[in-house]
Amino acid sequence: MADKTDTPIRRVFSLANVGVGVAGSYLGYALQSAFLDQPARNAKLKATHKRAARRMADEMQTLRGAAMKLGQTLSLQTGTLPDETLAELATLQMSAPPMHPSLVRAQFKQSLGAEPEEIFKHFEPQPFAAASLGQVHHATTRAGEQVAVKIQYPGIRQSLVNDFKMFRTLSKPAQASGHIPKGAIDEVEQQIISETDYQREADNIDFFHKHLAPLRFVQVPQVLRKYSSDKVLTMSLMKGEHLDDFLARRPSQKLRNQLGENLFELFYFQVLEVQALHADPHWGNYLFTKDARIALVDFGCAKYMSKATVSYLRRGFLFPGSTGSPEFARLLEKYYEDEGRELPPATRKALIRFAENFYRKVYPPDAVQDKPFDFGDPQFLKDFLIASKDLFRTKGVLSELIFMVRAEMGMYQTLHRLKARVHTSRIVRKYLN
Amino acid sequence: MAAKRGTKTKPVTRNVKPKAAPRKAKASRLKARPSPGGAKTRGRATPSRAANKEAIREKIVKAALSLFQTKGFDATTTKAIARKAGIAEGTVFNYFKSKDDIALHFFEQEVDQAMAAVRDNPRLKKAPLEEKLFALVHAQLEYLAPYENFIGAAMIHALKPSSPLGPFSHRAMELRHRYLRFVEELIEESIPKKQNALGFLAPEVFWIYYMGALLYWLYDTSEGKQHTLAFLDRSLSMGAAMLRQGGRYGR
Repeated sequence: MADKTDTPIRRVFSLANVGVGVAGSYLGYALQSAFLDQPARNAKLKATHKRAARRMADEMQTLRGAAMKLGQTLSLQTGTLPDETLAELATLQMSAPPMHPSLVRAQFKQSLGAEPEEIFKHFEPQPFAAASLGQVHHATTRAGEQVAVKIQYPGIRQSLVNDFKMFRTLSKPAQASGHIPKGAIDEVEQQIISETDYQREADNIDFFHKHLAPLRFVQVPQVLRKYSSDKVLTMSLMKGEHLDDFLARRPSQKLRNQLGENLFELFYFQVLEVQALHADPHWGNYLFTKDARIALVDFGCAKYMSKATVSYLRRGFLFPGSTGSPEFARLLEKYYEDEGRELPPATRKALIRFAENFYRKVYPPDAVQDKPFDFGDPQFLKDFLIASKDLFRTKGVLSELIFMVRAEMGMYQTLHRLKARVHTSRIVRKYLN
Repeated sequence: MAAKRGTKTKPVTRNVKPKAAPRKAKASRLKARPSPGGAKTRGRATPSRAANKEAIREKIVKAALSLFQTKGFDATTTKAIARKAGIAEGTVFNYFKSKDDIALHFFEQEVDQAMAAVRDNPRLKKAPLEEKLFALVHAQLEYLAPYENFIGAAMIHALKPSSPLGPFSHRAMELRHRYLRFVEELIEESIPKKQNALGFLAPEVFWIYYMGALLYWLYDTSEGKQHTLAFLDRSLSMGAAMLRQGGRYGR
């Protein structure tokens, strides 16, 4: 499958196959489901999702950059894709077809004016990780510092733009069936295109390096600007393991709990204090260590939140009264008013429902109930998926809120995989005052 | 294009000969003139004399290329080249018959350095075919890059049947053969001849591909010619895979 027979023409065929394959799977389901009763139909639908997802993952694996990234981003939107699809798409996370050393050298030289071997004391021609828009190499500077050098696949920007044009056309069936919401593709495209500028990513790294300094358990790399450009990004090497490798060592419950608490604190510190998130909090963007430290990698899609949103989040989190109360409804109305938007009753109901069905359970507002929440509970993730899907399907939900829920999704999935028990409300409370 | 070449070869070569002949005569006449001056140096140690000669040759090529690039190939005279190089016009003819000859010399250098870049790079010894070919073409384009305007003009110029740069001139043909022999060697290192899908045709197909790549590169307006890099990588990967496939299905 990863045969490098990738050409523009093949990409067209490949994407067309995704469209046909995926749409075909659903069509097959629709035909069969007419003859099945409800439980059998559900099982059938699950299998269909799985088949469609596997086909999508397979096909996307053969495409570089664009579809890769799109697959990754869609994989975060569990609310919009069934969780079976998500599980399949998650396999896309860390793999992309590689550039051979000569291409790496050409791209590096084109960008920085000299070959990597002329600039670094040592440069490893084989990459140690695939970044979705390129790949990452180990290197040692002349001063002896160990660094990670991220190099972008050439011409990725244009091919992303093209792929999105095609994907728009080919995903019409999925859009029509509501599996991909309307605005989602535009949003993903904008975000992904901006990720192709490594200069911007370098600025993000500097920002988070400065603002996350108070959290002792977090490591943020430092950019070496001298060896960086818009297509090459050189930064200090982060220590730690990806989640899969980390879990393979069977870490103790205590360590997993500690990491969970740290991850959770990192998330709310970013939202409530820094008012920005370094990336989708998907596990692919963190490294974990044995002493419960977290290293952040990939700052390509950092998100900066508006002051207004954060101030309303502060007021809404751990809301002291009932979320069904007129006070809570008024808070929502005021938020929408400040944003210059109207709050339709159906949207208000959906938001209240989400707060009630999900946040209340995971974040008990009562300080006396200071029990850790068990993110290992599979029912919790299902509840969250159902609740968030309900929210995503509702019209008129502010995009900032959708973003927030999506970001939480990434974090909850990571916590779920860690099976961590976390003092949710206690940590949030720390940053509410 | 290949078909055209086959049918047109004969009349074209006939055309070229009478034109080339007087030019040659002129050149030899010109050559004869400064040789008495050169006789003085004949007594000196040959290596330094050879080095000196080589330095002047390079000076002329450099001056010519910079004029080809800025003023255009057609508008550049040998007189202007001599002035730019700081030598007498006659001296230019000591080294080159014409400005076409200078251009051809440049293309020979281009091909030689690219072949050396692949052959002398120990890192490429065990590299797959697509990487070797990528390194070859990329080294060529890198060498040509400072003279992009001229390359475009030279390609047009080479289409004139009488042009020494064209595919029918003996020297240009010789250069192409040397280049394609090298490509053939690279292919054979990776895929045994009997198993490669195109057999002896593969280098010829590569030549057409190379011309296409050159055009793609010339018209690539992307920043830093990023699209050319991607194009080379993808097309060569596909090409190499196709050659290998031939082996799998047998012939």
